[in-house]
Amino acid sequence: MEGFGPVDPTEDGRAFHADWEARVFALNTALIRRQAYTLDEFRDAIEHLAPERYLASSYYERWLEALEGLAVKKGLVAPGDLEEEGGDAPGPGPRGSGEGRGR
Amino acid sequence: MSVPTRSRGQREDGHPDSRLARRQRRLEELLEAAGVVTGAELDAILDRYLATAKPANGARVVARAWVDEGFRHRLLADGNAAVAELGFSMGGGIQPQLLRVVENTPRLHNVVVCTLCSCYPLALLGPSPSWYRSEAYRSRVVRRPREVLEEFGLHLPGHVEVRVWDASAETRYMVVPRRPAGTEGMAEDALAGLVTRRGLIGTAAV
Amino acid sequence: MKDEGGATGRALEPPRSGPGAEGSPPGERFRPGETVVVKALDPPHHTRAPRYVRGHRGVVVEVHGVHPRPDDVVTGAHPPAMEPVYAVRFSAADLWGEGDHSVTVNLWEAYLEPLPLQGTGP
Repeated sequence: MEGFGPVDPTEDGRAFHADWEARVFALNTALIRRQAYTLDEFRDAIEHLAPERYLASSYYERWLEALEGLAVKKGLVAPGDLEEEGGDAPGPGPRGSGEGRGR
Repeated sequence: MSVPTRSRGQREDGHPDSRLARRQRRLEELLEAAGVVTGAELDAILDRYLATAKPANGARVVARAWVDEGFRHRLLADGNAAVAELGFSMGGGIQPQLLRVVENTPRLHNVVVCTLCSCYPLALLGPSPSWYRSEAYRSRVVRRPREVLEEFGLHLPGHVEVRVWDASAETRYMVVPRRPAGTEGMAEDALAGLVTRRGLIGTAAV
Repeated sequence: MKDEGGATGRALEPPRSGPGAEGSPPGERFRPGETVVVKALDPPHHTRAPRYVRGHRGVVVEVHGVHPRPDDVVTGAHPPAMEPVYAVRFSAADLWGEGDHSVTVNLWEAYLEPLPLQGTGP
């Protein structure tokens, strides 16, 4: 993809900006180590987020979205258990081509 | 049009993270109830990560390469084996990675990216900076690296070759910046203190 | 091109053994210094060939071990093919028609093919 403006080089030195981000990171590590899914499947899940959701989501929000979808896909949680109030169920968007975002 | 990812998550209700925090907590509770993970396990993962993964590690490796010619050669030939001499391993995360260390010279400047996602040598550099994960960096540094480096305040003369490395597989890259002039005789610890995370990625001179 | 960064062109072994490691390891189809072309693939599944190199030619710089092909891992092919991963260098001029830099990308063997024989290719 093109059309992105200058890189914002500011750094705040923090690994995570909220506790939930850290927990998402840890969850992903634990689930892959326990072989609930592979790192490749995780990347695949991120790539298959609906494009508008991908661009509208922060980095770890994408991870959370991907993890929710994988947890359902792998039968670890029931789909209904993760429905947001308002019925905004997580899950993959329309399948685009495999490699993300037309880079 | 640039898409600022850091401010994403702002919602009208003014509590940008609370909805996401609730979602994360629910997922975690469900997975614990299913016996897939434990809270203690997650705590341990985070504690270990935050305690061990930091750019000071990469800086130590660079400082050693600056003062020890034999180590420098070993580092460039086999990054994994060489950093193990200093007690570092690329295997503390999800899966072991192949470490390829690339060296800046007066005529060559290296810069690292992962265009496909944001792969990064966490063990040696600690958490990746937001800009490294940004769409802007990932798409532009392979197309116009000199322009991107200027945005970081790094100007490279025209005679310096720019080599971009895209970590698209299991290899993780780290840059050995050029040792600054006037540092002859400096102690290794002090030399390590000169090395920044950006220098290890290639968006700064050191 | 001369590599001042210390690359020796020899294979770098991964620090772990992958699945199905018994028996002789797969041979390497390509050698450092060889020109290769990235297949113009566009699969519906996860793949690790960035779009910007597809269809382009580059030079093999190094071999970075043998690893399970991610395309197989996500499509459930069992066992996934264990293949050499090559560091392939592309010139900016070839990729985008401008720029004096190079981009070196790690590519699974399945993503690559040899340069067409003279007179038979584009």
